[in-house]
Amino acid sequence: MMQIKITNPFAKFLVRIADSEIILGQRLAEMCSNAPTLEEDIALSNLGLDCFGRGEELMKLVSALENNAFTPDDCVFRRNEREYFCIKLVEQPNNDFAWVVVRQFLHDVYVTEIFKQLATNEHQELAALSQKVLKEIEYSKMHSFDWLVRLGRGTEESKMRTQNALNVMWKYTEELFLFDEIDKTYLSDTDAIAANWNLGVNEMFAAADLERPADKKRHILDFRKGFHSEFLGLILADMQYLPRAYPDAKW
Amino acid sequence: MEKGDKVWEVFIQKKAGLAFKHVGNVHGYDKKMAIQNARDLYTRRGEGREIWVVPAEAIVSSPLEQADAFFDPSEDKVYRHPTFYEIPDEVKFI
Repeated sequence: MMQIKITNPFAKFLVRIADSEIILGQRLAEMCSNAPTLEEDIALSNLGLDCFGRGEELMKLVSALENNAFTPDDCVFRRNEREYFCIKLVEQPNNDFAWVVVRQFLHDVYVTEIFKQLATNEHQELAALSQKVLKEIEYSKMHSFDWLVRLGRGTEESKMRTQNALNVMWKYTEELFLFDEIDKTYLSDTDAIAANWNLGVNEMFAAADLERPADKKRHILDFRKGFHSEFLGLILADMQYLPRAYPDAKW
Repeated sequence: MEKGDKVWEVFIQKKAGLAFKHVGNVHGYDKKMAIQNARDLYTRRGEGREIWVVPAEAIVSSPLEQADAFFDPSEDKVYRHPTFYEIPDEVKFI
């Protein structure tokens, strides 16, 4: 079996973002034909495709940094759970529509801050990609924000479900800000990421009339070291089945 | 259709200065949702630079059952077409 080793620090940094986007894309793809309305179905598929698109572009940079020892496809379809470096937030399931929207919004606010800093990165290709991605995410964030306001200020049921989704997923936001040396090398100001994220989510809590869950220190094992929630294995089993069963299959 | 849901007609402008073109419709509970749904459904392949949505109920249509009275009288009036003029070569885009 092929071993995919990522050793270049810049590639290690980029693969975290790439993996997060790919896994969120997969989660959104699961919503295809399952959204509450036809219109929202296409909206979520669009968002999912955007995630795959930027995931793929980032994977290309990762492959190039590793001297093309593997392709972007290898990287996505031939790595196991512990070799993945996505944030746990994006692994969380589509339990109901509120989960989809909460997960999306928390992600959108986070990656907005990441890509904002990468947009001025000295790596020109990455900077150009980030500038393009920021527009996609701006729309996604507007869409998820609007839904949170609708759900939070909708019926008792929608409010309860949304608050519940927030309460459960909140614990996976702590690790987002436990930046390591690698992050600090490529992000110009990690403190600003946390500060702006807090501003963004607090604005949402006020607008949607939802309660911000308490921040507790939980010390969940870090995604940066390849630790995940129980869901990633199942996602990968689904996502990787075809290329693993038929390694030479062509699209 | 659920309570509060409405149908909106969608018009898209491809480039500045061109007319908005009707492309279809979407469901939406309010203006904001309608415009986002229209964006997600009808501008996925770079079709537009601006979108209008109009509540379908705001559109007044000519009565189909009176289509004869409305439109037949114009059928034999070919002289209403500006085809009896010589168009100078210098005039483009007509």
